[in-house]
Amino acid sequence: MMILKIAWRNVWRSKGRSFVVMSSIVVGIWALIVGNGFMNGFMVGYMDEAINYDISNIQVHHPEFKQDFDINLSITDGLKKTEEIREWEGVEAVTTRTIVNGMIASTKKASGIQIRGIDKKRESEVTSLDSLIKEGAYFEGIKRNPIVIGAKLAENLKVKLRQKVVLTFNDSDGNITSAAFRVAGIVKSSSLNINERYAYVLQSDINTLLGIGDEIHEIAMLTSEGVHEGDILTKYNNTYSGDLVEDWKLIAPEMALMQEMYGSMLYVLMFIILTALIFGIINTMLMAVLERLKELGMLMAVGMNKLRVFIMILVETLSLAIISSPVGLFISFMTISYYRNVGVDLTNYSEGLEAFGYASILYPFVAQETYIVVTVGVIITSFLAAIYPAWKAVKLKPVEALHKI
Amino acid sequence: MSGVIKAENLHKVYSETKIPVKALNGVNLEIMEGEFTAIVGPSGCGKTTLLNIIGGLDHPTMGNVLVANEDIANMKDGELIDFRLKNIGFVFQAYNLIPVLTTLENVEFIMLLQKQDKTQREKRSMELLEEMGIADKANMRPSELSGGQQQRVAVARALASKPKFILADEPTANLDSKSTENLLDIMAKMNKEENATFVFSTHDQRVIEKAKRIVTLEDGVIISDVKK
Ligand SMILES: Nc1ncnc2c1ncn2[C@@H]1O[C@H](COP(=O)(O)OP(=O)(O)OP(=O)(O)O)[C@@H](O)[C@H]1O
Ligand SMILES: [Mg+2]
Repeated sequence: MMILKIAWRNVWRSKGRSFVVMSSIVVGIWALIVGNGFMNGFMVGYMDEAINYDISNIQVHHPEFKQDFDINLSITDGLKKTEEIREWEGVEAVTTRTIVNGMIASTKKASGIQIRGIDKKRESEVTSLDSLIKEGAYFEGIKRNPIVIGAKLAENLKVKLRQKVVLTFNDSDGNITSAAFRVAGIVKSSSLNINERYAYVLQSDINTLLGIGDEIHEIAMLTSEGVHEGDILTKYNNTYSGDLVEDWKLIAPEMALMQEMYGSMLYVLMFIILTALIFGIINTMLMAVLERLKELGMLMAVGMNKLRVFIMILVETLSLAIISSPVGLFISFMTISYYRNVGVDLTNYSEGLEAFGYASILYPFVAQETYIVVTVGVIITSFLAAIYPAWKAVKLKPVEALHKI
Repeated sequence: MSGVIKAENLHKVYSETKIPVKALNGVNLEIMEGEFTAIVGPSGCGKTTLLNIIGGLDHPTMGNVLVANEDIANMKDGELIDFRLKNIGFVFQAYNLIPVLTTLENVEFIMLLQKQDKTQREKRSMELLEEMGIADKANMRPSELSGGQQQRVAVARALASKPKFILADEPTANLDSKSTENLLDIMAKMNKEENATFVFSTHDQRVIEKAKRIVTLEDGVIISDVKK
């Protein structure tokens, strides 16, 4: 169709101007996608750390345990259930924990903490706690009562590897009990909990001190990739009764909320960038129309109807978007791919970020749909931006535009 | 035989200005098929206004305009566009051509809007360019042509779809005397060969001499109408 041809060639008539608009579309797309990728990396980094090292996907407790961590509220037949769950499809790893709140003290300082009695092999399968060891070893090298603490906690207590700390807590009869532990390893994580609120000891050691035999307070599961956590919850509730079983969204509702919020961030960002873009495009196309008043008047005088004029301006505008979108998408894709491999090191800023529980190396990524959503958004935007200038063109009176025939 | 254009008692008052301007004061004009008419008169006498109205580009304040027996004075803007496309050819003083199209594409343009088929369009356009002596410029852009050549392309475009008549408001105003004569000769030739009806306005004495009918306006009324 000739109108398409004219519109297409008109795009190249004012190369500089078209280039400016196309560049802003490219930059807009890039900012959107890369911005979204970084946000995703930020969020997933945070969630991954929290889920992998701290919460794990699913936790089981006595229904009232978490209210005030009463050590007598253990999971009925906890170990037996754990052995059974381990065989379930979709469950990658399971571990058990004894949890007691207490105090940790060095010769210099004391601090309130949560003592976590763990099964060291199973724990590393579920939370990879062993991979976080920065100093010393994962419960190795200390014969009696080894303990693993976070780097921040160690710093607060001013304790070094192999030095002694004292844990104080109530045993099952409510008597205050103390025991000396020796630091076997120091873990470092961006998670606040791991870094300064937890002290890991062996389940067997703590259970003996507490006098609770092989009772446990927490079962933590890591589900297989792609498994829907809800299905495991359902299965658990169908198999056993009387326990509180939760997935990470229930355990840490703030994370679920955050995930949702980040999901809508793309749209907020899109709204902002596309609004800026729409004005840029309107401005340019309006210029393109005003510059050609005489020509448009002539076209309408000789019989080009309003619909055709409208389509012409529309096509001109859309062409700008259609040419520049692939360029923007490509550059965005390359940027994301590059940083996805290399990672973005935020160590310089990570003091602040780690306090919030964010990872210090960020791996941006973008969902495939995002490329489509952004492209569609840009095309709709240029479509909307075309309407006003096109309407201006259509409203022209040929005689006035030409001034005289 | 009735005329292709029949203007009766045309009045035009421009009232957007502070003092309303009476541009036409009762013009009666009938143009027959095949005529070669010049509208002449001093600046501001209403030539452009008259051509705009009979070309369906503007509405008269009062009076009727029949083109091919259709009353166009009261047509809506949208209908007028289609009417012009089907019935009237235009040659303007300037800005006639679409800068991004080649000479040939410009000539084809009206036929294209009329949805004529491609082979027919191209054949007709090339013939006309040949007649105008610019066939060798078929693939050039308007900016590569001289002013005179551009006006010839405009005439070719106006003729291409065989409209009822062709209106040209001072088509030679921007041309030198040689190009002026050349353009008029071509128009006269096409008037003869294709029996194309031309109505054009001019100030130029040499152009007036080429006309077969001369309508003189003064202060919005026709003061003489001479056929040679
Ligand atoms: N859009 C307009 N608004 C107000 N007055 C107008 C308008 N167009 C034309 N006029 C006035 O109407 C009168 C006739 O103008 P018109 O353009 O028809 O004259 P013309 O014969 O074509 O003149 P020229 O030879 O200079 O082209 C003039 O007085 C002019 O000032
Ligand atoms: Mg005039």
